[in-house]
Amino acid sequence: MKSEAASTPEQELRIVGFLCNWCSYGGADTAGICRFKQPTDLRIIRIPCTGRMDPLFAVKALIYGADGVLVSGCHPKDCHYAVGNYYARRRMEVLKRFLPFIGIDTGRFRYSWVSASEGQLWQQVVKEFSEQIHRLGANPGLHEKIDVEASLFLF
Amino acid sequence: MRIGVFVCRCGTNIANTVDTEAVANKALEYPDVTHATDYMYTCSEPGQQEIQQAIKEHALQGIVVAACSPRMHEATFRRAVEKAGLNRYMFEQANIREHCSWISSDIEANTRKAMDLVRMSVEKLRFNQPLFSSYVPINKRVLVIGGGVAGIQAALDCAEGGLDVVMVERESTIGGKMAKLDKTFPTIDCSSCILGPKMVDVAQNDNIHLYAYSEIDSVSGYIGNFKVGIRKKATYVDWDACTGCGLCTEKCPAKKCYDRFNEGLGTTTAINIPFPQAIPKKACIDADYCRYFTKGKCKVCQKLCPTSAIRFEMEDEIVTEEVGAIVVATGYDLFDDSVYGEYGGGHYPDVISAMQYERLLSAAGPTGGHIRRPSDGKAPKDIVWLSCIGSRDASVGRPYCSGICCMYIAKQATMTRDHLPDCNCYVSYMDIRAPGKNYDEFVRRAQEEYGVQYFRGRVGKIYPKGDRLIVQGADTLLGIQIEIEADLVVLATGIEPSDGARGLAEKLRISYDDYGFYMESHPKLRPVETNTAGVYLSGVCQGPKDIPASVGQGSAAAAKVQALFSRDTIETDPQVANVKEIACIGCGKCIDVCPFGAIQWKTLRDGSQKAQVLETVCQGCGLCNATCPPKAIQLQHCTDDQILAEVNALCG
Amino acid sequence: MGSKTEALAKQFEKVFDDLELVIGWETGFDSLHATPAFIRQPSALGRLIWNPFCSHNLSGYLTKTLNATAQEDAKKIGICVKGCDSRSVVALIQEKFISRERLYIAGIPCRGTVDLRRLMRLKPSLKDVNTVHIEGNELAVETARQTHRFPLQDVLLRKCLQCRYPNPVLYDELIGEPLTPRVTEGQAPPFVDKLEAHSLEQRRVFWERELDRCIRCYACRNACPLCVCQDNCILESRMPKWLSQRSGMSEKFFFHMIHAVHLAGRCTECGECERVCPMEIPVALMKEKLNQVVKELLDYEAGLNPETQPPLLTFDPSETGI
Repeated sequence: MKSEAASTPEQELRIVGFLCNWCSYGGADTAGICRFKQPTDLRIIRIPCTGRMDPLFAVKALIYGADGVLVSGCHPKDCHYAVGNYYARRRMEVLKRFLPFIGIDTGRFRYSWVSASEGQLWQQVVKEFSEQIHRLGANPGLHEKIDVEASLFLF
Repeated sequence: MRIGVFVCRCGTNIANTVDTEAVANKALEYPDVTHATDYMYTCSEPGQQEIQQAIKEHALQGIVVAACSPRMHEATFRRAVEKAGLNRYMFEQANIREHCSWISSDIEANTRKAMDLVRMSVEKLRFNQPLFSSYVPINKRVLVIGGGVAGIQAALDCAEGGLDVVMVERESTIGGKMAKLDKTFPTIDCSSCILGPKMVDVAQNDNIHLYAYSEIDSVSGYIGNFKVGIRKKATYVDWDACTGCGLCTEKCPAKKCYDRFNEGLGTTTAINIPFPQAIPKKACIDADYCRYFTKGKCKVCQKLCPTSAIRFEMEDEIVTEEVGAIVVATGYDLFDDSVYGEYGGGHYPDVISAMQYERLLSAAGPTGGHIRRPSDGKAPKDIVWLSCIGSRDASVGRPYCSGICCMYIAKQATMTRDHLPDCNCYVSYMDIRAPGKNYDEFVRRAQEEYGVQYFRGRVGKIYPKGDRLIVQGADTLLGIQIEIEADLVVLATGIEPSDGARGLAEKLRISYDDYGFYMESHPKLRPVETNTAGVYLSGVCQGPKDIPASVGQGSAAAAKVQALFSRDTIETDPQVANVKEIACIGCGKCIDVCPFGAIQWKTLRDGSQKAQVLETVCQGCGLCNATCPPKAIQLQHCTDDQILAEVNALCG
Repeated sequence: MGSKTEALAKQFEKVFDDLELVIGWETGFDSLHATPAFIRQPSALGRLIWNPFCSHNLSGYLTKTLNATAQEDAKKIGICVKGCDSRSVVALIQEKFISRERLYIAGIPCRGTVDLRRLMRLKPSLKDVNTVHIEGNELAVETARQTHRFPLQDVLLRKCLQCRYPNPVLYDELIGEPLTPRVTEGQAPPFVDKLEAHSLEQRRVFWERELDRCIRCYACRNACPLCVCQDNCILESRMPKWLSQRSGMSEKFFFHMIHAVHLAGRCTECGECERVCPMEIPVALMKEKLNQVVKELLDYEAGLNPETQPPLLTFDPSETGI
């Protein structure tokens, strides 16, 4: 079953957000409370900590058609669990640098640090990232049928 | 599973920009959803009853509420479904207000988004499992870190409630900064007269165990059951034997030691008792100055001590205390005024900090309470106070207001006029911040009754002329340049978190702001709690405040501890990691990464090693889950399947 | 040749009293195929061989079929390693799957091993091989009738063409003299560069074409010495269910991403995954790229120092720029 967004007009894209409960999820709440207007493409999944973030969740989303993936957590040093985001930033950065190798635009993946009080920063992150995803357009996805003629022979 | 979906209109908060009815109708198409409706205020009493009724009527096994942020009402709804007989974890909340209706006015887009968010919650809920708490006993002892007035208040309040209190103070006496003050604003109470009895109470209260000259070495455990390693620093004096007679301090030949208590005005001996009212009143050797430690011989104190209390061979000792709650009251340090080179603090002897001036005013201070300038011991005729030294100045990394300086300047100037009626007192200020009870009146009295001359503006520089100082600046109200010839300049240094605050925060796993002040759990509603359960804040360690506020917070923290300890057990959060032993490959990566030491080895009967989670220690961060290669360790209520269900709801 | 083969047997003979068994290579079902050998009797040490067909990384057996952890009274396990294999051994020690004390490692400096599929494509009629060895830049294959010579470029395994560690990094005894690496440290992995020369779109199409052949036999995973989950691999787990049984491009792609991401900062580039792939998919390439990223970002290479912790299993608060 396709998600709702799939049947919507072209201008809305699918952005999956993974937000830590203590900082960025709260920051997104703060942005809402302050009525900071944001693009509507983002759908947020709440996780306890960016340390919970297996890079494969992001990979899964991107391979299965998400147009963008945004991971956000507490600022380094401010992790509710002390060190979760230190692990996360290594894992996320490795993934970010790897994605283009398999043909996924690195711009489709972003991680950021936004605290619970930074509603304005959250608005800015969502705006920037949504705009960026719109510039990149819909995720071309994977082709089930391979056009061997058009493909690349390396070895 | 039979799932019920309730879409909240939140009055107009959601309904204005989300078609809640359409969202509810759409929800009926999602798998396992057997009942869906929208409602005006789902969180209200009738709203909750509607859910409870529907649970019974439609035999619902799981509930999704699409409403505000779960950070707001998750607890409310969990209680509601629990009352209707469901396990409280068979509930999911879709945030269609903060994350949807409030951030866009596009009704169509918002409605589509709300549908997606509900769909994600439904898909996740299908993987939810009932979870159950366990109950662990509370160790009803409290640790108070810091023996300033905030810590003293917290300790006394707890002790009076019958709790066992462990107090740790890193100096050799409690009393903190307040013990150094001469008088307190705005009442001109004698500081040691009001603090002294409290310090004595601490010493005499059987429920309080004081570790002076000690620091926190390590903290492990969790609310109700912390284990704290306390480093008792070597004093080189057996405090059980020391009677505080002071003979050693009289005879110690190393007399030119830096006097920390008197802020470097005057000197002290290598073995010393900081001040006469010190608690505990025990001698302590400063190894940096002691002749035995620096030159290898002396031991005069050892020869003289009537109780043979001197122990040169003493070493730091670590003791372990087990407590159920921790109150952090580590206070503050003062900004280093030498950062402002143009004022010559630390360079010109007659440019001193306000705390040094406080010691000059004190009858127990180096001048016996007579105001004498440090350079030549003369009574000053003109004194200038400079406000905001290390406060409200982003250029030195201190953009915040220290909150107390305006008031202590007024106090010091008033007292100066009392001591030396002929002395001219000038105050250079940026703004006067006097918002407390009787505070503004106090400042006005300084200006109007005591003739303290205030001018608004920043001093540009200070330079010596003969044996006096020229203070050059601007009066921004009159728009003129000002030059004052002064005998003494007092820099009203601001507050910064005490040295080592960050290191302690990391041990306690509490967070701190850009400056190192500890973060409260909520700036308005949870001002003495931290995000680490069982750790409370008191006093200036959380942010600048004056004595009444610090004392108030000390009592508030004590009240929180009392409330926690009024129960015998705490309910643990079942949202913790859990190991599926059959899938665990015993690689130990979870054990390596766990920030809390919550995972340990378990040996099965076949000799194989598996990970085992200590559920009371686990904080539920999920780092182990993300790290585990075969995903044998799963964070309950946020399992891989649950996250994947949400991802799958959106993609694919 | 054969001097190293003899040296190997001699060396193990010397120490066999302390050993439970020796893992090495022996001649397989024909003279072109080497196969892993498990030798438990000193009299059988003569079966051991060393030649450019000995491509198997034997370190996987230390965890997958044996238990090479420290055990009381247990004898050591003797194992033959090439440069690349030795890094896998180090990585397994790093992650505490095996114990250094349990091992007796015979290290063999290696000039490269043969990709049999490439060789057979060049010379399908090749059989009855007497000896095979590397001479300069050529592979010399001596059959009963004649000696065939092939440029190494055309017959070596892809990993060997970009080998930076021909010499074992950990051993008890080195068999032969150390060699100069074919590719020096700091040089970018040439095959990674080759793919990166193409556009994002072309790269995706490249992988689509390659992975389209994937039959999800999981041979790559089974051969990987660092795929330590074995029977509990999440590729086949139903709870959690990361991957469905559907055989679409997305599943194939995601399967290989799971394998690659699980090896990030751990892969020692032994190339076993690629060597065993029945569909000749260059699956090691993803891991080579990840290794490059980890090297650039965290200045780390897997399997060099038994004392270090793989970088994604630790952290450094002072890191900036990420």
